[in-house]
Amino acid sequence: MSEIDARLSKIQGRALRIGSVAFVLLIISGMAGPQRAMQSWLLGFLGMCAIGLGSLGLLCLHNLTGGGWGHAIRRVLEAATKTLPILAVFALPLLLWPQGLYEWAHPEVVAADPILQHKAPYLNTGFFRIRTVVYFAIWIGMAALLRSMGSVFERAPSDANGRRLRTISGPGLAVFGLTLTFASFDWGMSLEPHWFSTMYGVIFIVGSVLSTLCFSILVASWLARCEPVSRYFQPGQFHDLGNLLLAFVMLWAYVGFSQYLIIWSANLSEEAPWYIHRLGHGWQGLALFLLLFHFAVPFLLLLSRKTKRRHAVLAGVASVLLVLRFADLTWLVVPAFERTNPILGLILDVLAIAAAGGLWLGAFLSALRSGPLHSVAPPGPAEAQPASQT
Amino acid sequence: MSQATTPPPPDETRTAAIIRPGHSLSSVTDKISKIVLQRHTPRGWFIGLGISFALVMLLLWSLTVLLVKGTGIWGLNIPVGWGFAIINFVWWIGIGHAGTLISAILLLVKQDWRTSINRFAEAMTLFAVACAGIFPLIHVGRPWLAYWLLPYPNTMDMWPQFRSPLLWDVFAVSTYASVSLLFWYVGLIPDLATLRDRAKSRPWKIAYGVLALGWRGAARHWDRYETAYLLLAGLATPLVVSVHTVVSLDFAVGQVPGWHATVFPPYFVAGAVFSGFAMVVTLAIPLRKVYGLEDFITMRHLENMAKVMLATGLIVAYGYAIEIFTAWYGGSEYEMFMVQNRMKGPYATFFWALILCNVAIPQLLWSRKIRNSLLALFLISIVVNVGMWLERFVIVVTSLSRDFLPSSWDTYEPTFWDWSTYIGTIGLFLALLFLFIRFLPMISIAEMRMLVPAEEEPEEEEK
Amino acid sequence: MGVPVDRPPVFGVLAEFSGKDELIDAIGHSKDHGYRHMEAYTPLPLHDVVQAIGHKNRLPLIVLCGGILGATVGFAMQYYLSVEAYPLNVGGRPFNSWPSFIIITFEMTILFAAFSAVLGMLALNGLPRPYHPVFHVDGFEQASRNRFFLLLLSRDPVFDLERATEILESREPLSMHEVPF
Repeated sequence: MSEIDARLSKIQGRALRIGSVAFVLLIISGMAGPQRAMQSWLLGFLGMCAIGLGSLGLLCLHNLTGGGWGHAIRRVLEAATKTLPILAVFALPLLLWPQGLYEWAHPEVVAADPILQHKAPYLNTGFFRIRTVVYFAIWIGMAALLRSMGSVFERAPSDANGRRLRTISGPGLAVFGLTLTFASFDWGMSLEPHWFSTMYGVIFIVGSVLSTLCFSILVASWLARCEPVSRYFQPGQFHDLGNLLLAFVMLWAYVGFSQYLIIWSANLSEEAPWYIHRLGHGWQGLALFLLLFHFAVPFLLLLSRKTKRRHAVLAGVASVLLVLRFADLTWLVVPAFERTNPILGLILDVLAIAAAGGLWLGAFLSALRSGPLHSVAPPGPAEAQPASQT
Repeated sequence: MSQATTPPPPDETRTAAIIRPGHSLSSVTDKISKIVLQRHTPRGWFIGLGISFALVMLLLWSLTVLLVKGTGIWGLNIPVGWGFAIINFVWWIGIGHAGTLISAILLLVKQDWRTSINRFAEAMTLFAVACAGIFPLIHVGRPWLAYWLLPYPNTMDMWPQFRSPLLWDVFAVSTYASVSLLFWYVGLIPDLATLRDRAKSRPWKIAYGVLALGWRGAARHWDRYETAYLLLAGLATPLVVSVHTVVSLDFAVGQVPGWHATVFPPYFVAGAVFSGFAMVVTLAIPLRKVYGLEDFITMRHLENMAKVMLATGLIVAYGYAIEIFTAWYGGSEYEMFMVQNRMKGPYATFFWALILCNVAIPQLLWSRKIRNSLLALFLISIVVNVGMWLERFVIVVTSLSRDFLPSSWDTYEPTFWDWSTYIGTIGLFLALLFLFIRFLPMISIAEMRMLVPAEEEPEEEEK
Repeated sequence: MGVPVDRPPVFGVLAEFSGKDELIDAIGHSKDHGYRHMEAYTPLPLHDVVQAIGHKNRLPLIVLCGGILGATVGFAMQYYLSVEAYPLNVGGRPFNSWPSFIIITFEMTILFAAFSAVLGMLALNGLPRPYHPVFHVDGFEQASRNRFFLLLLSRDPVFDLERATEILESREPLSMHEVPF
């Protein structure tokens, strides 16, 4: 046990070191061009938020549905929700200096733009800050509640405790969906304040859950390779996780394509520019890359039973997808910025993702190490096993 | 580091909740096949079939009048060119989706509680799709030329226009109908063989025998059969999503305010499941009572379906909320007017009724007590059916009746023929269901056998 | 196939069992005696019976091919008709409007794959087959209720009516039948 702990602590130390170095470098670059650094930081922030928040959603979902897949990753999800206060700290730059990112935060721009004036009751710095604080307050509170009730249930898995857990998880999931939608509107969609899409929140939620699934499959597969805990992980659980991953890869393609098809077909001047930016100026290459490696290749690989039952192979697919999640986020966010030096921008993006990722991973691992590494007691209604006499 | 070592609680009550204890391979076989083969037909069945058959006559009459006089007998006008026909089409298709969802998705996620309701739900899908399919056909104006929608070489040297969502509909709905039929029939084959082996009279033996295709339960056959069934489930799942996506695209691809919203596809799919599950509950509650199927369709089924209704209802509510927010946020005056018009315009009653039916009342399902009360569940399911019909009415009619140009505004009022056609399809749906219940096993015998505990049974002779 | 004289006197020997464990035991026993051509009949799908009998399932491959064919046909049809056969300018959209073609391509994929699954299953199973010798056996209708049957086929090179009967009888079946053609 302590051997795993030692290995985890080593990784944690390395992650924190990489994160701090990258963060310092980002700050230094920020002295020269604060706006550039902010843009890249947003990317890192959103990338890590996806995992922290996706964990919250998956935790609620597992409380409601049960299932072997959840037991394999429950500790990972719980640890990831413990990082939400860190993510709130990550949000500070956005709160302190929204002008660095958002057009609508500049009064002189708003004064010249009737549409932004119309949106001003919602898109203004004060309300923006309040909303972000409220979102995090809700999420942190919800996560703490879920964790404490989850541990109560695990200590005493009675019907009443299970029901109580489900009673908060149901509304929790609804609140999660609604808050994350508006958070994605605020942080992401309002980068191009004229553009709007009712699907944006759904796309963001699906992407977040996908990031979380990839990340937790990676951690679970790592744990499944370590002795004493390895016996708590079964191929069946990875099979289910693989199916879930497959479902979300398909869902990601589905919501993305639906939005594209609707906007492409209607071809309205207030909507089409968003795609014109993202399917031109070199971004079409990234789009094609995403289509191939964020959808087609993982989809085909995950169809096979063999991929899903061997956790090492599944982890391989998940790690590629996790990298592609950042590429997807880049494609979603970065074309909104007018970058004069794209190469420098890319370097800063990588730096920011390393900074946010390293620091976040450090926090995550410290949370993970503070408790047991696996869960045994199944919360929620017992999951259905195939009743056929196999 | 501490070790959490609580063992998972034993759970022997679970299977018992899906099928009452005490059943065996033979009792399951006998009890379900008896409904078809031996049981005396209850008088209620004749009354029910009689009423629904009368409604089928109403449908045929309405369709005949339509063919003779044309779509002018409906309340359609310019600008409201899509009236009841499209509303009912979407409504019926949506109802059908729960069947596929129950049979395919729940199979894939290994929810074995589906077993006792899937056959029935699949039949419901087929009949709902049959009812849905009527509407676009009669709505084209000259139904006898509806085959023009298909791409086939013709002397006019013309081909369909593949960029139109209406053509996607043709492919989506016909694929859906075919795959649903295959899925249903494949599921029926072993049960038809069971009926063939149990039937007493020769004509029925021959009829079931022909339909059973010579099935004899060989192990290798079962293996391929199960694979085929699973693969069909895997194919039907994305298919059902795509079908309602295409239905939503019929609206969303256009530019009419209130129709053009990117969130339409997932929100329509959720709405379809919502109304479909409501219909399953509406039908299952009286059915289990009349045929004494409480052992197989247990409270657990009904409660699970109620939960699915609650979840999908919330997604639908999310759709409404985001649509209204974005109408304001987007800043387009047409979109803002559309929302205002929905809430305060001539059809405001419908809008608020729909909010009541689809958003407010289903929240009662949070309560366990309500989920376990047959009467409450039955009433809520009817409310949801009505609400989802209203939703389609609001989407179709309010948007069209108040489009971009005020000079072209007009109101839409359904005529007698609109209503008679709609009610007629309900009759058709029910009549088909009554026939199905009488002549085919409404619960999959072969799959119920899989739920029976493995140890052998007390021998009892077939009656 | 052969001259009528070569034809064995019966189609096979059928034994009836009350449970799947007895059935699997009998399968193993028959295999120990060199029998390869046999078929088990069960009221429900049972994986261990299939495993005992031994069977390789090729259906997924057929379905995959069907799906790929459907996708190709679907897209090629739309491309050819919209670009070559009947190019029509609709609102300035390109003739090759691939985003619009995805939907029907998808539907055709599912349609072809589903038909391959069902027709492939029926073809591999040799269905529909209205006549089969086992239907002659009295009591075989219990195979669709609660009985498990094992049939040793006379087609098996090692088949010998008496030996086969002995082998099955040693497993204490509920009943034994010779299956005529």
